[in-house]
Amino acid sequence: MRTAADLKVPLITLVGPPNSGKTTLFNILSGKNYKTVNYPGSTVEYFTSRILSKYNIKAELVDSPGIVSLIPESIDEKVAVDSLYSHPKLGTPDLVITTIDSCQLSRHLLLPKQLISAGFNVIIVLTMTDILAKRGLKISERKLSKALNCDVVVLNGRSKQGIENLIQATNSNLERLGVTYKKNIIPYNSLENRKDLIDTFKEIEGIVNDVYENVNEDEKIYLNSANRELKILQDGTTNNGFTPDEITLKIDRVLLHRFWGFLVFVLVMGLTFTSIFWIAQPLMDLVDELFTNLNSLVLENFESGWFTFLVSDGIISGAGSVLVFVPQIIILFVILGLLEDSGYLARGAMLIDKPLSKIGLNGRSFVPMLSGFACAIPAMIAARTIPNRKERLFTIFIIPLMSCSARLPVYALLIAYLIPRDKPWLGGILLGGIYFFSIVSSIVVAWIINKFSKRIFSTEGSSSFILELPSYRVPKISAVINHTYNSSKEYILRAGPMILGFSLVLWFLTFFPNINPQVETEGFTTRQIQNLERAERLEHSYASDLGKLIQPFMSPIGMDWRIGVSLISAFAAREVFVSSLALTFKVTSEDDEEQSTLLNSLRNAKIEATGEKLFTVATSIGLIVFFIFALQCLSTVAVSRKETGGWKIPLLQVFIFTALAYFMTFITVNGLRFFGIQ
Amino acid sequence: MRTAAELNYREKGIISEIDFSHPSSKRIMEHGFTPGQTIELVCKSTFNDPIAISIRGTLIAIRKSEAGCIKLK
Repeated sequence: MRTAADLKVPLITLVGPPNSGKTTLFNILSGKNYKTVNYPGSTVEYFTSRILSKYNIKAELVDSPGIVSLIPESIDEKVAVDSLYSHPKLGTPDLVITTIDSCQLSRHLLLPKQLISAGFNVIIVLTMTDILAKRGLKISERKLSKALNCDVVVLNGRSKQGIENLIQATNSNLERLGVTYKKNIIPYNSLENRKDLIDTFKEIEGIVNDVYENVNEDEKIYLNSANRELKILQDGTTNNGFTPDEITLKIDRVLLHRFWGFLVFVLVMGLTFTSIFWIAQPLMDLVDELFTNLNSLVLENFESGWFTFLVSDGIISGAGSVLVFVPQIIILFVILGLLEDSGYLARGAMLIDKPLSKIGLNGRSFVPMLSGFACAIPAMIAARTIPNRKERLFTIFIIPLMSCSARLPVYALLIAYLIPRDKPWLGGILLGGIYFFSIVSSIVVAWIINKFSKRIFSTEGSSSFILELPSYRVPKISAVINHTYNSSKEYILRAGPMILGFSLVLWFLTFFPNINPQVETEGFTTRQIQNLERAERLEHSYASDLGKLIQPFMSPIGMDWRIGVSLISAFAAREVFVSSLALTFKVTSEDDEEQSTLLNSLRNAKIEATGEKLFTVATSIGLIVFFIFALQCLSTVAVSRKETGGWKIPLLQVFIFTALAYFMTFITVNGLRFFGIQ
Repeated sequence: MRTAAELNYREKGIISEIDFSHPSSKRIMEHGFTPGQTIELVCKSTFNDPIAISIRGTLIAIRKSEAGCIKLK
């Protein structure tokens, strides 16, 4: 990548505390047209962009992760601060623009104070002044600018009012620096200790007292009287600070109520959870249908040869298995975005912190774990917000235990196989039971793994949960859509190549070396012949050789190599298991009846060596149990490696969860048989 | 001496000092918990922990174990 340093353009970094409107400003300046840059060897990511040409500033703009202070505590914070001082790719910023929530001046001024004492060239952008105005107050930019000796600009994030002033200030700052500007930045470790922190806050309190003004007259007022004007009850001891937003306090009296709060939480999560499935299902079916049709179209219109099959079964089906999850991921991100932007998500994390801390997790693990029920990949990426390294790694570790949606087709098939045709309602109960069992078992597994956490994560660090609860507000739809778009894009770019690549490898293994199988053609339709040929080809493929190799492992759990092949194929994506089973068990039917005929051929399938029935109640339940625990998804492994920065955790995950799946299946199958259920 | 963790529902207190020996003390101070500030316990979550404290016009959710290092007058 060509960077600001290479191109000799100034580098401007946006810095700001969480919830200060930093990303809104970045979107305004960049026009939402940005790319991500990683800090080498870490997962801390930066968005970088050129400033929109209409603003006429030639500079590289970087959005950094939200920080409250320049003194880092966790490893990831250290990386964030280090890279602010000197990013290995981007260099040291020529100008730092820092966003400050005007209503939280007394907390948020800490960061610009530190930035200025460190020697950075700073512009302060005051956001949320409209909310402050509702309280009858404004901030004197002139006084604040004088007190801190830097430019101060007021900006309205929604109307973009004030952006010209920011551009002007940026230009005059950059001009003043000229080309000869020498950066003289003092490293943070020599900056402050805890005692200094108190002094800095004292200074800030003095400044804050001075800069707030009444909206109507330019008369200086003290905040106590301002609060009295707003009829907020204050006792005489309060000094320079507001009371939190009254409406927020009222809502929290319900949403953070000890009983009602938890009930609402359970309801909200239940709704989120069900809509991930029920709203997404028709859309997922649509995507699935589209790719199935595309596949048939290729098969029908091109000469049957290895290249046609590569396109249809390899590339098209592979792309389909990436895109089939996009509707679900979009819905998940929209809901999470709405919850986050409204301010509720932070409350959810607070409510669930206590139970999660019992098993070594954190309230902040909650959103990643919830996302894990859709797909583990965005879930692991979401774990970046957990500051404690051990808790973050642990969250990533157990995310594959959340029953992701790729397992749903497998469960659906096996449930359909297990329940009698005249009792379809039993299927719903069974599916509910599977999810309940998977949640309970992941809690138990997490609890056990937590006992070995020191060895697995080789890092401890004190557990901490300090989280700002932002004021409630109506979510900004554009921000939610924007975030959803970027997250979905990230999923496709990250998981896409991996799933597609592995589908191609699997296609190769299932297609070669028997390219031209001989089958009986009499009395069959072309479609049926094609299916017969596929089944024949698979039976003599490299994949089946591989499957036969693992036969010794399959026998103890009552299964044979054919299921083994399907389990191996499922490493590309779990739902491939179903289509692979269909292939293996010689399904000779039209597409729309695939499941029912697949069920019939499963009913008739016999273990080759003994002639016993292969899919019994015991082995079917055993397979469900296997899918609950097993980590059969190479994309997850790849993302886990990237997010944990090494192979140790992903390899442990594969080993532990696969061994656990095998062990639990073994117990289930043989246990059921012991009690007379075959 | 009482700490913020011992505040009752909707009770106010003034911070006298922060226990520097606590590993979270720096983070707590960076969120604005400094001596002299008035705080109020606004909510407790279902399991009594974490608690939501109002400080400098903002609500902060904090575990009781960490609120324990905020000493009150």
